[in-house]
Formats: sequence, structure tokens, C-alpha cells
Amino acid sequence: MRLSVGDTLPEVETPPIDRLRIAYMAVSMRDPNLVHVEDEVAARSGLRSVIAHGTFVVSYAGAAVSRAVGVDAVRVLKVDVTAPVFPGDVLRTRAVVTRSEPVEEGEMLTVDLSVTRHDGTEVGRGSASVLQQAVT
Amino acid sequence: MAREVGTRFAESEFYIDPARVEEYVTALGVAPEQDYRAEVGSVVPPGFFMYVTSYGAEPIHDALDFDMLRTVFGGSEVEHRSPVRVGDRLTVRPWISGVTEKDGKSGHLTFVELTTEYSREDGTIVALERSNTVQRG
Repeated sequence: MRLSVGDTLPEVETPPIDRLRIAYMAVSMRDPNLVHVEDEVAARSGLRSVIAHGTFVVSYAGAAVSRAVGVDAVRVLKVDVTAPVFPGDVLRTRAVVTRSEPVEEGEMLTVDLSVTRHDGTEVGRGSASVLQQAVT
Repeated sequence: MAREVGTRFAESEFYIDPARVEEYVTALGVAPEQDYRAEVGSVVPPGFFMYVTSYGAEPIHDALDFDMLRTVFGGSEVEHRSPVRVGDRLTVRPWISGVTEKDGKSGHLTFVELTTEYSREDGTIVALERSNTVQRG
């Protein structure tokens, strides 16, 4: 897929981020923080239930880019987590090419990223730098 | 341990085991590419470094004296300098690159920026990650 400034990458919608998915990530990452698995602990943090790891938001933003350009083209991925993600949330990532700079191998594209919950709340925002190889 | 800029934590080794990458992709439920295979030689997904930084990070959180009930992850930036592939063995070097204290509407906030360098055996840094953690109170 050749990209230009103004192009929107195909939207990626996640499956529901259910409790099993969150627990699976917690175990896989060896993360002992019970805010991801125990509602009582989450409540003591002022949350209505357990929350997903920031890893989900960052990774979904990254996947929206890499699914369009390939994992080997992503040079920088920057994502700020702006709101919690709760069990059952479905996230969508909007990715828009906003800048192009010439580099030796082709052009470096800047892709602005916004990850939102189904209720429209933005849970992550950031950008990616993507190398688009010159056509030979 | 004081949260002082420049403080370096013990370096460790992370083997990018295909099983780790497969678990990460399975937990997400979204593959980083259509038909992506977590096998030796595949380039790792762009979000995978956050998994690596978080993997077994409890000693660092303890050293930073974080109260996890008052702590939230703020975000991360990963710079990929060279392709990192499944099967690679990386040296992981985390250090404190920023500490900021602020008083706002929600009370006192401490922002800690942790920078993690990932390098190969020859010392080449292949990726650099900066992550931010915020503690209330």
C-alpha cells in the first residue's frame, strides 16, 4: 500500500477486551499488579472495575499502522494513554498520514493516531514514523 | 531508592522467545500483520517493546517505591533503530531519565520517565523506549 499525506489507514477494530484477555496478558507479562485482575483492588484505586494494561492501547495503535505498512516499516511508535480501558471495551484506531519527509531510502511518513472506545472516549493518542521505501 | 535522574537499574537479558510473541499476539487478539507468524526470524510487532519493558518489572517498580494503587501508566515512545527479530537475545538497560513533580487540581503528581536501551551482543542499540508513569499523592 503506497501512502500519501492525507491518507487514512484502514481502521482496526479490536475484539472485546474481556477479563480473560486482560488476565492472559497479566500472566504472560509476569505483571503482579492486581488492578488488572481484582475488582476490589481496582476500587481502592478509584476505578469501577479492573482495567486493561496500557500495553493493549499502545499495541493496538501500533497494529493499525503495521497492518497497513508491515512490521518492518515502523521506525517510531509514540502513544500516550489518556483514559482507562475496562473489560468489554472495543477499541478503534484512526490513523492518518499527516507529513512526509524525504530520507535516503525513500520518505519518512508521520501517522497521527487516535484510539477510541465505542462510546467515543479517546483512550490513546500519538503518532508513528513509518519508512516508505522509494519505488525502484 | 531515590527517584534520581540518571539512576541505572541492573541490566538483564531478554530472549525473544517465539512463545512470548505468540502469547502477546493472542492476548491482544489482533495480529500485527495479516497472517503474521511468531516464528524465529519474524520482525517483532511495534508494540512488543512495551511488553518486554513490563515483563518482570516488579523489582524496578519496588525500587522506585511506587504504590501501584496510586500509579498509572502514562505512555511510551519506542524508537526502532534496527529490526529486532523473534529469536534475538537482547540486553535490557533501564534508567531514570526524568522526574517531574507537579501540584494540580487532582493533588500532587510525580512523573517518572524511564528510558530503556535494548542492545545486541556487539553493543549496538537496536531500540530505545521511553515510558512515563504517574503517581498521585
